[in-house]
Amino acid sequence: MHISEGILSGGVLLAGWAGTSAGVAVGLKHTDSAKIVRTALISSAFFLASLVNIRIGPSSTHLTLLAPMGLILGWGVFPAVLVALTLQAVLFHFGGLVVLGVNTFIMGFSALSVYLVFGRAVRESKRGAVLSFLAGSLAVILAAGLAGVSLAMTDPNFLNAAKVLIIAHIPLAIIEGAVTVFMVSWLKRSAPEFLS
Amino acid sequence: MRRLVLVLVLALWAGECFAHGVGYRQSELRAIPLEFFYSTGEKMSCREARVFSPKDEKFAVQSGRTDEEGRFAFVPDCSGDWRVIVRDEEGHQCTADLTITQDFLDGRTQSQTQDSLLPQGMDLLIRALLGVSVIFNLALILRRSKHAH
Repeated sequence: MHISEGILSGGVLLAGWAGTSAGVAVGLKHTDSAKIVRTALISSAFFLASLVNIRIGPSSTHLTLLAPMGLILGWGVFPAVLVALTLQAVLFHFGGLVVLGVNTFIMGFSALSVYLVFGRAVRESKRGAVLSFLAGSLAVILAAGLAGVSLAMTDPNFLNAAKVLIIAHIPLAIIEGAVTVFMVSWLKRSAPEFLS
Repeated sequence: MRRLVLVLVLALWAGECFAHGVGYRQSELRAIPLEFFYSTGEKMSCREARVFSPKDEKFAVQSGRTDEEGRFAFVPDCSGDWRVIVRDEEGHQCTADLTITQDFLDGRTQSQTQDSLLPQGMDLLIRALLGVSVIFNLALILRRSKHAH
């Protein structure tokens, strides 16, 4: 889901950095000292998740953990994603530093949206498993959709590619939904304060 | 006389046809074969590939597609820094930078490549640990600064 360097237009790159700067500023304000270690832990998990390959038929992909990140960190997801993506770009050559603003916004906004829409319901509803699955799946589809919009805004010829991008991420969305159900149910039993 | 003119015209026309004939021979030049793949290990099959020579970095001297195994080859005709860019429709792009030496063109050495590939094995493990370490050190610095305020 990382968009590479040299593809997006200057306007899209600037918009990405603007959105990311705002998100990180608000995120840092919401992250008090008690939550910093938790944020580092989740950021590390996101950083390492990109190395876990999942085979889907003849192809393969990697986990994003967008929904668990959003549900645990809330607004604090933006700084966590920015740090992890910076290190992925520098150490693993995923994405790039110029396009970092767009990539951070795509993933941070998707994770935050899931938190705002499903956060309370996942914690309190009896249908937590269903909602967790929806949160995990929709976070991936939303991120793929935002990546597609970024490409289409750069060049309208990318519009078909954007549709393909969303369809191609459906298997990952299902897997992420299942992973989110597992993680949320485990956190509810073992460390409910993480979801508070 | 008319027959003679007709024969001459036909002969000239046939000459034109022969001038547009086609042929082939095995090239003596050395090609650079490359393999492109995603960080997940999946091959970049049938993706758009463009080759940029040291003489012109803006316009591709060759374009085409990788094969089903993600392979693409080109034949450099001068020394210098060559670039091959392979991209897919989803925004992924892989750039291969290659320094072609005159010795390589003359058949004396292999090319020197600067691959931008995912690190493997112990290198990957060390980078992963370094990343986690940086994250927690940043958290520590941020926590101290918040406590100070």
